[in-house]
Amino acid sequence: MISERHEELAALRALDLLDGAERAAFEAELADRADLRALAGQLRDSTAALALAAPAAEPPPSLRARVLAAAARETTVSSTPVVIRGPWLPRFGWGLAAVFALGSAWLATENLSLRRETENLRLERALADMSRQMAELRLKERSLVAEAAIADLGNRLRRQEDLSRLKINALASLAGNSPEARAIAVWDPDRETGLLSVEKLPALAADQDYQLWVIDPAYKDPVNGGVFTVADDGRAVLTFRPDQPVKTVAKFAVSRERKGGVPKAEGPIVLLSQ
Amino acid sequence: MSSACFALSFAEPGPAWLGLSAMTPPAENSPASDEAAEHAALVRRLQQGDRDALARLYDLLAKPLYSLALRITGDATEAQDIVHDTFLQLWRKSGDFDSSRGSVFSWTATFVRNRAIDRIRSRRRRQELLAGQTGLDPAAASANSADTLWLREKAAAVRAALATLAPEQKSALELAYFDGLTQQEIAERLNEPLGTIKARIRRGLLKLRDSLPGHL
Repeated sequence: MISERHEELAALRALDLLDGAERAAFEAELADRADLRALAGQLRDSTAALALAAPAAEPPPSLRARVLAAAARETTVSSTPVVIRGPWLPRFGWGLAAVFALGSAWLATENLSLRRETENLRLERALADMSRQMAELRLKERSLVAEAAIADLGNRLRRQEDLSRLKINALASLAGNSPEARAIAVWDPDRETGLLSVEKLPALAADQDYQLWVIDPAYKDPVNGGVFTVADDGRAVLTFRPDQPVKTVAKFAVSRERKGGVPKAEGPIVLLSQ
Repeated sequence: MSSACFALSFAEPGPAWLGLSAMTPPAENSPASDEAAEHAALVRRLQQGDRDALARLYDLLAKPLYSLALRITGDATEAQDIVHDTFLQLWRKSGDFDSSRGSVFSWTATFVRNRAIDRIRSRRRRQELLAGQTGLDPAAASANSADTLWLREKAAAVRAALATLAPEQKSALELAYFDGLTQQEIAERLNEPLGTIKARIRRGLLKLRDSLPGHL
């Protein structure tokens, strides 16, 4: 029983419209079924007949001549054997040998010359490669130097920028017993940290500390900057960060307080920025 | 579609009408059998290097083959090249012909069609396909001789059979056979679903088979 599906496949096959997988599957079925093969053959013949439905056209007369001439040429080429005639060989044998010998000598000379030329070219290429490598190294060296210079310049610029950002305040003594006392406070407003360096500040009793105050107009009272003591020579260096955020520093002050400091200044102010 | 070559399959049996197939013997002494036999005999002579046989085959087959090539390519120069190549291949490969597997005309027509479709597909790829047909010379069909009489009769029979098809079936078959379009391309060209196209091809080809005469 031939189904419509089989008829469709046979028709598509006759017109070469089946793709690879579909065609392979149908061919496998054809191999097993004589009735399908018969149908496929009929449809193939019907398809071939379509060639005769093309509108009749006469090929130009010259085409016939071209075809026959081409066939004749192929016949001539294929049917003409290559024959070396015996009598010619002895007569020209020595001559041919001489020609071959000369030719071989010439080829050998050419070969030597070409080899030399090749070797020269190879050396030239090696030299060119070395020059290129050296140039690359020089370029790399210059590049490294330039990079270092740029990095150095950058660092310097950054340092300058840092320094320009810093606020430096000099503190002067307010206490009559230490008129020579001096202090410098360096303030970094971005980081809200600072450094205080003092000199010639009198030593304190054991139950006392100096306390640094940061005066910011945003606060009613000075903000605690930390406590410190001084060495025998009156020197001290304190890095500090105020207890509260400080946006604007109006002044720095140092007071003498109880040991450990106080939340709000109580003792006398000994140093005050100008 | 298979590419153009002479290694064609003629494995399936079929009616021998018009001398298109040699698997099923046609009616005895029918013109179809005479033509097919003459073609096969000429091909056998080609194997002996008989150039006169090639000339005779050319006279018998060149016109329908050229017409087919011209119908497909729409280009007279390309059609001439294809026919030229076809006869040269026939000359070179005549030993490959097996008369028990198909007629000389089927063999050569399939070669011409494959070559022509390869060309138009290549042309389409270059987006240089020209619309319409050119170079057809209706007057050429009026040539009358003993050699062309059989051809004219067969061609008339095929056209008559084609005329029995519904226009949409005929159109689908022609787009596949002469234009070398794929199923999908035919569906797009006719703006129809793929399933409809497959059904039209099936019905059209079956009807064509039934409408073609058993022999002339």
